[in-house]
Amino acid sequence: MVASVFLNVNGRRHEVVASPATPLLNILRNDLGLNGPKFGCGLGACGACTVLLDGQAARSCSVRLDTAARCANIVTLEGLSADGKDPVQLAFVKAQAAQCGYCLNGMVMTLRAFLDAVPNPDERGLREALKYNFCRCGTHMEILCAAKIAAGLKPETDLT
Amino acid sequence: MKGMLQIFQQAVPAKGLSSRNNFVPREETLLEIAADGQVRGFCGHVDLGTGIATSLAQIMAEELDAEPAQVQMVLGHTDQTPDQGATIASESIQVTARPLRRAAAQARLILLQRAAELTKLRVDELDIRNGRISTADGSVDLGFSDLVSGLSVRCELDAKTPVKPVSRYRLVGQDLPRVDIPDKVTGRAVYVHDVRVPDMVHGRVIRPPYGGYDHGPFVGRTLLSVDRQSVAGMPGLLDIVVLGDFVGVVAEREEQAAAIAAALHLTWAPVALPNLSDPLEALKANPYTERVVLDRGDAQAALPELSQRLDREYFWPYQMHGSIGPSCSVAHWQEGKLKVWSGTQNPHMLQADLALLMGLEPTCVSVIRHEAAGCYGRNCADDVGGDAALLSRAVGRPVRVQLSREQEHVWEPKGAAQLVSIRGGLDEAGQPLAYDLHTSYPSNVSPLLALVLTGAVPAAVPQVAQMGDRTSVPPYAYQNARITVRDMPPMARASWFRGVSALPNSFAHDSYIDELAAAAGVDPLEYRLRYLPDERAATLLKATAAKADWQPRVTLPQPDARARVLAGRGLAYAQYVHGTFPGVPAAWAAWVADVEVDRLTGVVTVTRAVVGQDAGLMINPAGVRHQLHGNVVQSISRALKEQVTFDTEGVESREWGGYPIITFPEVPWIDSVLVNQPEQPPLGAGESTSVPSAAAIANALYAATGVRFRDAPFTPEKVKARLDEALGPLQPPVPTALAALATFGQPASPAAKQRNWKTILRAGGLAGLFAVVGGGLSSLLPWRVAIAPVPPPVPGMFSQSVIDRGAQVAAAGDCAVCHTVPGGIENAGGFGLKTPFGTIYTTNLTPDPETGLGHWSYTAFARAMREGVSRDGHHLYPAFPYTSFARINDTDMQALYAYLMSQQPVRQEVPSSRLTFPYNIRAFMAGWNTLFHSSAPFTPDLARSALWNRGAYLAEGAGHCSGCHTPRNALGAERWRSAYLAGGEAEGWNAPALSNLSVSPLPWSEQDLYAYLRTGFSPNHGPAGGPMAPVVHAMQALPDEDVQAIAHYIASFDTRQPTEPVLARRQAVLAAAATQQALDAGEGARIYNTACAACHEGEGAHLYGARPQLALNSNVWAKTPDNVVNVLLNGAPDPAHGSANTMPAYRDLLSDRQIVEVVSYLRRTMAPGEKPWPNLPERVAALRALAHP
Ligand code: FES
Ligand code: FES
Repeated sequence: MVASVFLNVNGRRHEVVASPATPLLNILRNDLGLNGPKFGCGLGACGACTVLLDGQAARSCSVRLDTAARCANIVTLEGLSADGKDPVQLAFVKAQAAQCGYCLNGMVMTLRAFLDAVPNPDERGLREALKYNFCRCGTHMEILCAAKIAAGLKPETDLT
Repeated sequence: MKGMLQIFQQAVPAKGLSSRNNFVPREETLLEIAADGQVRGFCGHVDLGTGIATSLAQIMAEELDAEPAQVQMVLGHTDQTPDQGATIASESIQVTARPLRRAAAQARLILLQRAAELTKLRVDELDIRNGRISTADGSVDLGFSDLVSGLSVRCELDAKTPVKPVSRYRLVGQDLPRVDIPDKVTGRAVYVHDVRVPDMVHGRVIRPPYGGYDHGPFVGRTLLSVDRQSVAGMPGLLDIVVLGDFVGVVAEREEQAAAIAAALHLTWAPVALPNLSDPLEALKANPYTERVVLDRGDAQAALPELSQRLDREYFWPYQMHGSIGPSCSVAHWQEGKLKVWSGTQNPHMLQADLALLMGLEPTCVSVIRHEAAGCYGRNCADDVGGDAALLSRAVGRPVRVQLSREQEHVWEPKGAAQLVSIRGGLDEAGQPLAYDLHTSYPSNVSPLLALVLTGAVPAAVPQVAQMGDRTSVPPYAYQNARITVRDMPPMARASWFRGVSALPNSFAHDSYIDELAAAAGVDPLEYRLRYLPDERAATLLKATAAKADWQPRVTLPQPDARARVLAGRGLAYAQYVHGTFPGVPAAWAAWVADVEVDRLTGVVTVTRAVVGQDAGLMINPAGVRHQLHGNVVQSISRALKEQVTFDTEGVESREWGGYPIITFPEVPWIDSVLVNQPEQPPLGAGESTSVPSAAAIANALYAATGVRFRDAPFTPEKVKARLDEALGPLQPPVPTALAALATFGQPASPAAKQRNWKTILRAGGLAGLFAVVGGGLSSLLPWRVAIAPVPPPVPGMFSQSVIDRGAQVAAAGDCAVCHTVPGGIENAGGFGLKTPFGTIYTTNLTPDPETGLGHWSYTAFARAMREGVSRDGHHLYPAFPYTSFARINDTDMQALYAYLMSQQPVRQEVPSSRLTFPYNIRAFMAGWNTLFHSSAPFTPDLARSALWNRGAYLAEGAGHCSGCHTPRNALGAERWRSAYLAGGEAEGWNAPALSNLSVSPLPWSEQDLYAYLRTGFSPNHGPAGGPMAPVVHAMQALPDEDVQAIAHYIASFDTRQPTEPVLARRQAVLAAAATQQALDAGEGARIYNTACAACHEGEGAHLYGARPQLALNSNVWAKTPDNVVNVLLNGAPDPAHGSANTMPAYRDLLSDRQIVEVVSYLRRTMAPGEKPWPNLPERVAALRALAHP
């Protein structure tokens, strides 16, 4: 059972033809050719697939196409800024917050949504906000440092 | 303009494990400079997120005096880069960088000579800086492109070319930002997962039932049969590939391949797997051969001389690399040539394996390496390349395969378990006199999975690898020491994992010396320094201790047995030695760890880690620090949390809940001490700081508690149990039960009345029965008259407005919910309803003349709906809720008829129902109706409002809420009078009580019910799940007023009220759960926190979708665990709510044991004070056995 569905992704309207039960992640990656959101678990556990649905952080592996189609705006890592200049992205470059970087999409997107909702968090708040985003490389210190920079906190850091 | 300068070397055969290719003499290009001035360096190693692309470019730019941005690295492409073996053992900088550096130096000289020719100057008059060639007076300014244009030089690497002395370094030793990060942070980077080639299709593999084993007599020979029919006609299917135990499917789209793989029915022979549920016992029973790698003095003879004997055993569990992205590969087979895009760590080894798998010469196989998710050793990156290759050959198109999370977890070659036993102790002076160590490590070389699954390589007898010897020799100068490595065959599939055997060996060495120091009454730092002959080691250890402000400690720990939190500090030191003994030393590392232990939960937290490293010359100190942090965080995770568990089906840790890793709140503050040794050669820094981690933490735990932990990981339940034993139990407070809700006023009763069969019988047996039925004699007949068939309806027979109204009645009645098979055509019937009396298959409600309602007149239809009698006169079963439908009024009934008869006719036979005695005798139903069924039309309750009566009409009639939510008597009739809406059953699920008997912690208010029925989600209760989800879906067609009326009506049955405002009660319920959660850190908690919490914890405004708070959900408060277990097993693939996440089915991801753990946790914490569910393991097994409740 396939259906034609319209999605508004990164400011552009796309028509996709797929089963309504298809995970949004598959649509973004395979139909729209986007690389930002990553498949990490497909179970909603790791956060690698995070995108913004009407500004909220959503795990696109666990959102059906028909559900996603109800959102006015879907934003992926590619659509966060025209030139990689979103303050969260800049902070990640500044803090060199990637090893393999596979988890990075989820970290950046989750932080973007979080900082939009909670503009002045403390470090604890940032740690809690990222609690369900897994990183296996142990890049946590750098990511936390990036989060603090993005949140306007002093990154007091071991990263000289 | 063309031009090219290249430096190459003659290939040398790579050693040992590093390559399996037959050696072919060839030239390997190391460096090339193109006419545009761009420099490319070629290296056979790959960047695993460690930043070597950055630091190798930095080294080359240094020698060339170029800008770092001018140098680009090509890594691990088999057609272009040298074969330098696997990217292991932190040797990329230490070993593989050497020829690159020299090639760059040589290229620099060639460029200078060329410049001299062009400018007619002497070489010593020219200089290169930042990639420009100039003279002191500025009269010359040339770029690399000016020099290489028109040049065509390809020369062999001259091993005598001088390289720069360290004193002249300008770039090396400076912090350089990583070249890859800007692209990664914007989504421009192309990981192997992002490779898309034209005409590409998607593959999925299905792995055999021996999860995580790659040797044994069953490997490659267990598949009995493949039922291709089971997936015939599934959308997108291109091929099913079966070779031995290798099974894969190919489809046009990724989700199609996944669906086909899930549906494909395979039959496997039973396999008896080795028992690894207790890996320590398994290790002890594993056969071995001994290899003595050090025999100093006479340890044997010294043992009896000891005045204090300490014999100890240290155990390390199986652990996972746990790459965040499951492995992925794209393969393209074309006319006997194979191209594979891969995230491999070992491109040349993979090339050889693929050649063997496909029967090709290695030169016909190209491996193109892309970045992938970090893998710290070896994950399934190679395996999936083999999978993709086989699938591509079958379909002749490029095929992309990404493994599932479960497949990556189960099949990645694990870090092996390890057992280290030490015999030794102290002499009278407190000196360590003897050290007799045995280390047992069952690693293996984990052959490419496709090779063993297809049978191309025999898997019955595994290869024994000599890998237990890394850092097996202690750094301490024990006078009499013997080190014996027990080389043994693998148990589960395993391979090298960060630090290989060195981490567990060092865990033993540095725990043991801590035990010696304590026994000798000497400060652990001082004791180590006494026996540490290596000066660089001592310097590092002292510097690290100083940074941590180490205070000497000579007394034994004295923990306060009543304190909730105990704190302590420990240290450890190690040098990672990689490669087979004697191996190659990498960087030195030392740790000081501070820990806190929560006695109530057993949770150990590393609060601070001061970690020192001496890696010689640091090419890119920022990169080294980065690696240090990564190692520290990951190894804390390994020491505190990680162990692979096994059950009879193999690896039991099949998703993150079964293998939790460290999260942000648990990461400590890390201080690094990087000892700068610019004059010393650079040493690998990718693994070293992991090595002393576990010992430092165990030593800190000892300092905090006085208890030694010699078996990793230090999980909360283990720590709590041992501390309770050693210090006396410290029990958490008993949870106070939530205040019960008070009831206010009389709950409503239904408007319609059920026939009172007891009165009937009492009034005179059968005679009375006849009397009461009055005129309904015919209803007692076993078979009623058939109603003549009518011609099928013709289009235009009914007005659109009538049809529309009928659609609403159908929506209120959720006809399609039961009369549609999952994924089938709406209302075409065939869905099997499981009842206690057998399975009833629903009928075809489309107007098909042969198999549906095509020949039914309205009279026949209305009779069926109201009396439960089919057109041909036979009695229907009350699983079809005619007992409720009888109350539908004529207008609605006619409209419903019109709607159903206007559907597209669908020819579909449905199976006949199979019921048990006496229900299999249709005539029995006649009597049943007499006792339990009243076909009286709906009469409003005049004491109630119009809204209430509208709700009653809908809920008691078409909506048939009571069909599921009212318990039934022994004969299957709803107990309408005594227990209306008191809770019933539906398809193996609990239909909770909607009355005062509800166990929900918050009452069901009218608003709650409205939200729940209209949107599929109530923030005060949760989502519509199980069989209720499709009901809400079906109700979408009902107008708001009707949903409101139903909510109003149902709410009148629940008159419970909290004494406080509902919002306050809501907060109290959530807070009570949070309190319990904070006190519970066992396995169930870990599964919940890792697998479930991302969607269920917290209600942050920035988080998308409905967020069901389980403490508010009546299912965790219910008498039985059925709904909680059902939803875990089956997931929620199609949630009713318009902005909800799907929930995965954990049926194949969690074992019964794990489900019991997490469900018990939910009960304990979310419903505090409620009794544990009895017989939970049996119940989970039973619910699992119901294929799809
Ligand atoms: S891939 Fe979606 S949460 Fe892991
Ligand atoms: S950087 Fe590799 S998983 Fe986070």
